[in-house]
Amino acid sequence: MTGTWTLVRLILRRDRVLLPVWIAITAFLPSSIASATAGLYSDQAARDAFAAVSASNPAQLAMRGAIYDASVGGLTAWTLGSSLALIGGLISILLVIRHTRAEEETGRRELLASGVIGRHAPLAAALAVVLAANLLLGLLSVPALVAGGLPAGSSLLFGLSTAAGGWSFAAVAAVAAQLTASSGTARGLAVGAGGLLFAVRALADAGGIGWAAWLSPFGWVRLTRPYAGDHWWVLGLSVAFVAALAAAAFALSTRRDVAGALTPARPGPAGGTLTGPFGLAARLHRGTLAGFAIGFGFVGALLGVAARGLDAQVDTPQFRELAATIGGADARISDVFFTFVMYVLSQLVAGAALVSALRARGEEGAGRAELLLSAPVGRLRWALGHLVFAIVSPALLLAVLGAAAGLTYDGDVARVVGATLAYLPAVWIVVGIATLLFGLLPRLAAAVSWTALGLFLVVDLLAEFKLATGAVLDLSPFVHVPALLLGGGASSPVLPLLGLTLVAAVLAVAGLASLRRRDLMPSA
Amino acid sequence: MSAAVHADGLVKTFGRTRALDGLDLTVRAGEVHGFLGPNGAGKTTTIRILLGQMRADGGRISLLGGDPWNEATELHRRLAYVPGDVTLWPSLTGGEVIDLMGRVRGGLDPARRAELLERFELDPRKKCRTYSKGNRQKVALVAAFASDVELLVLDEPTSGLDPLMEAVFNECVLREKRDGRTVLLSSHILSEVETLCDRVSIIRAGRTVESGSLADLRHLTRTSVSAELIGPAPGLATLPGVHDLTTDGTRVRCQVDAGTLTAVLAELAGAGVRTLTTQPPTLEELFLRHYEGAA
Repeated sequence: MTGTWTLVRLILRRDRVLLPVWIAITAFLPSSIASATAGLYSDQAARDAFAAVSASNPAQLAMRGAIYDASVGGLTAWTLGSSLALIGGLISILLVIRHTRAEEETGRRELLASGVIGRHAPLAAALAVVLAANLLLGLLSVPALVAGGLPAGSSLLFGLSTAAGGWSFAAVAAVAAQLTASSGTARGLAVGAGGLLFAVRALADAGGIGWAAWLSPFGWVRLTRPYAGDHWWVLGLSVAFVAALAAAAFALSTRRDVAGALTPARPGPAGGTLTGPFGLAARLHRGTLAGFAIGFGFVGALLGVAARGLDAQVDTPQFRELAATIGGADARISDVFFTFVMYVLSQLVAGAALVSALRARGEEGAGRAELLLSAPVGRLRWALGHLVFAIVSPALLLAVLGAAAGLTYDGDVARVVGATLAYLPAVWIVVGIATLLFGLLPRLAAAVSWTALGLFLVVDLLAEFKLATGAVLDLSPFVHVPALLLGGGASSPVLPLLGLTLVAAVLAVAGLASLRRRDLMPSA
Repeated sequence: MSAAVHADGLVKTFGRTRALDGLDLTVRAGEVHGFLGPNGAGKTTTIRILLGQMRADGGRISLLGGDPWNEATELHRRLAYVPGDVTLWPSLTGGEVIDLMGRVRGGLDPARRAELLERFELDPRKKCRTYSKGNRQKVALVAAFASDVELLVLDEPTSGLDPLMEAVFNECVLREKRDGRTVLLSSHILSEVETLCDRVSIIRAGRTVESGSLADLRHLTRTSVSAELIGPAPGLATLPGVHDLTTDGTRVRCQVDAGTLTAVLAELAGAGVRTLTTQPPTLEELFLRHYEGAA
């Protein structure tokens, strides 16, 4: 473990912006949602009514789980519990991989390992920082909650539950980082495991098989029941899970070489058939795309199964009323459910598209573009090769998602695919933003694009809680997508979709134009 | 003879840093040109401008008779480049990268490819993520040497190679020269440049400080002599070809031109020698001397 402290300081130095921003935003959310809840539903009757509507909405159950208590605290914990675990889990995975496997892959770890750095120090340092950051954001959320009038003990448990969510996935990432030599694959493994565990919890709560929620760390985050009985001992499950996985990760790391993997790299072909920049781009994108397609296909199929028979199952007056306000008097309950879930999933598809859209910048930053562009390959041709995949992949993913959902739902594939594909122009806006930044501010492109997507998510959260109205909501392209399953609103759906596509095209063209005029900028 | 590369007063700034400050460089067609300078002198920046990956803020530059920024794609058909820090696609094998680069450059000679792989002892079936720095350089070198181009731009190509592979590299460069190709070889290793290059340009802090054939720069290859003597050696100061002589009691230090070495040794032997050290000048000494001369 020698040198752990040195590496901890290195990590803190490298993430000196990301860590404070993440911690501050996540620590601030609970108290703001609590005050919004208290403001919107000022008496117990209003809260009970809201809880009853939400509890009968399978989409809400899938996203957030069961409501244990309709108090301000109980509703706040319900609203945020799952989302904070999702955000914290994702950031924890990315951070752990970034400071372990990615360091080895780029060879920077070798430089350090030649100094006085113990074998376990890099993993120990990465885990220490990420676990501490999660703990810190959990604890920091407590004072504001207490100041808002919520019980201190329950608020502390809520904070610790949030931390435990991040911890679990930091540990998952620690194991994934030991398994493969590629940081991309390790990241995919960890995120895939996270997605699966989230799906288990979602199905458990939406499908009425509550016991299954005990199988997932996402379940434990809610099963601690803050403000609803305070089951402190459930935290022990998360701690045991983290301890077991961390021990496994340390054990695995002693059984391999630096930069090596448990699964050794097999030799590949001695010659190649790649003919140019487009073939190369296809080769670089295809693995990620296939992985995403399988993942979204799986999620879509689950969605269809969950929605089947929903109309009869949750035919409560409350939900019918909700369905009517959202989708009009004769809206099917399952269609309202689909519309809800699609809204969230379309932003996940946007995340997948963003990975493709930022690939060209990744190639430039790593210095690989320098070699390729020294050959007779025009910049535009190179960038377009990657952009094509950022344009096509969300279309494919939304189609797969819709087709899988349609097949397992009512067999009306065309209708559901149409509804999912309606989100394509909004996703393209995200791709357009990334392309524009790639042209104008290449060094900031990744950070700013992901932040923009995150802000769109926040705008949606604000919209849901009526914390913001009007012009602010218009900032998110996803707000402008017509809900086709619900009749698409009063006017024609063609106009907003064309408008979004046009904006996306303008953004992308502007990005490519500035790419042609600027210097190539490797990160080093 | 026409110039493969001609740069005149190149200026490039990054924020407040002036990376190139009026750099001049002329590479004649068919020559191996050494591009020397310490780290951070501006070698890589110059090469990136040559390749149209960056645009100069001032000065003029022509590459193979064209404008490297506006005619990049056409000009790149006629050159091959090996970056100083070769990064490759982790999921591709070395062989796949060599063939990809060959195809985009308009084909490569399969026999030459096989021969180069064998001489550089490179296994093309390994994934690029498993290659060491030296092996990644070999991939880029094989791809460059096996392609049919007029100009090779090599940026510190031997920094990751062991001495055996450096020898293979030297033979390859000499063969390119025999075949009439032009090579721009950036380096900070003087001996490598002395072995291979017809002409050299030395840059420091973004400016060209020396340029010419190795014969022109003979003074750069002075030997540094340091000796502790038994008696005085008064004749040393009067010998032509002895420079920067310092005497400190019985210790003498001086720089000696190659042709004067015999006479200097005779003079020293006459005085009686206790210890004697001779060494070729390091690049750093050359720059120090240049700046002393300028000041």
